Amino acid sequence: MVFQTQQAVRAAILLLFTVLIFKFHYTGEITMFINPKYIGLSQIASVLFLILFFIQITRIWEKKTHHHHHDHECSHNHDCDHNHDHGNTPITLKKVISYVIIAFPLVTGFTIPAKVLDSSIAEKKGGMAVITGKSETSSTDETAQEELVQPSDTEEVLPNPYGEITQEEMNSLVQKLKQSDPINMDDYVYYLNYEEISKDVASYKGREITLKGFVYKEEGFQSDQLVISRFLITHCVADASIIGFLTQFDEAATLDKDTWVEATGVLDVTTYNGTEMPFIKITDWKTIEQPSEPYLFPLNVKIL
Amino acid sequence: MNRIVRTNLFDITGLFLLAAAFLLLTLKLDVGDVLPSSFLNLNTIFISILIEAFPFVLIGVLIAGVIQIFVTEEHIQRWIPQSRTKAIIMSCVVGALFPACECGIVPIVRRLVAKGVPLYAAIGFMLTGPLINPIVIASTYMAFGNNASIAGWRMGLGFAVALLVAFLVSFFFRGHQFKQALMSTQTIPTNRKKEPFTQRFFSMLTHSIDEFFDMAKFLIFGAFLAAAVQTYMPAKSLLEAGDGPFSSIAVMMGLAYVLSLCSEADAFIGSSFNSIFPTPSVLAFLIFGPMIDLKNTLMMLSVFRAKFVFSVLFFVATTVFLSIVLVQSFL
Repeated sequence: MVFQTQQAVRAAILLLFTVLIFKFHYTGEITMFINPKYIGLSQIASVLFLILFFIQITRIWEKKTHHHHHDHECSHNHDCDHNHDHGNTPITLKKVISYVIIAFPLVTGFTIPAKVLDSSIAEKKGGMAVITGKSETSSTDETAQEELVQPSDTEEVLPNPYGEITQEEMNSLVQKLKQSDPINMDDYVYYLNYEEISKDVASYKGREITLKGFVYKEEGFQSDQLVISRFLITHCVADASIIGFLTQFDEAATLDKDTWVEATGVLDVTTYNGTEMPFIKITDWKTIEQPSEPYLFPLNVKIL
Repeated sequence: MNRIVRTNLFDITGLFLLAAAFLLLTLKLDVGDVLPSSFLNLNTIFISILIEAFPFVLIGVLIAGVIQIFVTEEHIQRWIPQSRTKAIIMSCVVGALFPACECGIVPIVRRLVAKGVPLYAAIGFMLTGPLINPIVIASTYMAFGNNASIAGWRMGLGFAVALLVAFLVSFFFRGHQFKQALMSTQTIPTNRKKEPFTQRFFSMLTHSIDEFFDMAKFLIFGAFLAAAVQTYMPAKSLLEAGDGPFSSIAVMMGLAYVLSLCSEADAFIGSSFNSIFPTPSVLAFLIFGPMIDLKNTLMMLSVFRAKFVFSVLFFVATTVFLSIVLVQSFL
């Protein structure tokens, strides 16, 4: 019986990945990383790591060392169809480096807490260029099928949060938005409403709107302007994109970046860098604690 | 005494490791305060890319393990058409039907090539696998305001590009193009059939573990680079670089490459650029990214010779660029 250090290291790494993912689920931190829709998938990953760990521990104590040089004879139960490292060859510096690389996310994952993305990331992701951009997108959209929906459908209860909704359900949500004043930018419908309003700013002009988000500022803003913004996560925070509304109120200058606010105001149209876009004149606002779910997730519409 | 210890060694080691792991759960380590906030952002993005990629990578290495143990060279010879053209078309179609992700596909491709699948067919499969599948079609359709034309173009043009690149590979490269260190003894046939199923199943799993460790360092390094780019490189400077029709295509392809997004999630990012850049450039972003990106290149480098990897990168980049320029007027 010989203790195989490398096999033991591999077993430990597999187990630690299991525990790391388990920890994120257990503490609820997982939603700081991925869209809740994919939670099941990452649980599968955790279970697979655990299974592989149980397989791997059987390799820690080998009966004898066999330096598996690929050019030697193919005896015992090993097939020679292999062309990679089994972790039985002597430890070299190169291997140490690769184990350090693999262990790196374990170290940072266990010791550094997840952070909610802030306005510095929003800026790196394009900031206002992306926000103003949204207003120009596809105004050619179909409006025909939306007329089919009866107004009576609009009072229904919201479908389940992270599942798919049907085209009709989405149309009724759009219909509901078209009739509502004040508009409440609830997290569930935020992105849908945001897209609709951006598409057709003029028809929403003058309506009251309530929303929350974090403060984002950029060079070129006037002192009484700021963006109340959110991140939209499709799959994981790496694909976060910034969305938000340009707002105006006197105290804007006193608010720091990344402060969370809840505000009510009146929708208007403005031009920013030559692009027409929605704009909110704030009438009432307060700072709030960062919500436990700071990110928005797009609705999934069934298409088949 | 000695014998008892020996027979229970597995259990003891396993228990010891498990106990140590639970200790980690209860331990509250937190060094977040001493690090700059940009590094915290970076780390969050880094870990999230890994959490997103792990399920696909694990499924990928398990499939690779199954191929290694249960599929023989004779099977492959029977399944793959002899004619090059037929083999390429078949591989691209199989890739399109196979719901893969770009992180999980490299180990599968490696195993297929080791089992005697022609390199060009494997590359065709690698390019269409992540790009064309139901989830990607659905997310693209939704991200572009329930508009089917972008999703249609993405699939159609992507398929054409994959076919072309596979043909290019078949003209320029022979053999398996594996790295020198990995090349030895892989054509010796196995006589696995004699072994009982449980034994083979166990080999499949240990094989998957080895495959995982081969890939993991490149996946992790790639994820870290992609996260660093997102945290420190302002998109603005890129946006300013791409104001011409051709330069904007190049910029969007560059962005797709460095961001290394999952093909199932890049549509919303693509659509957020839809107004800053013309539609053809966004389409280039959507086609190029899933086929090859930073993370994926590093993983390929772990398997294939550098010259081959960079040639594939070059082929994909030029065919995507040229095909977008060609179809520009139709968009």
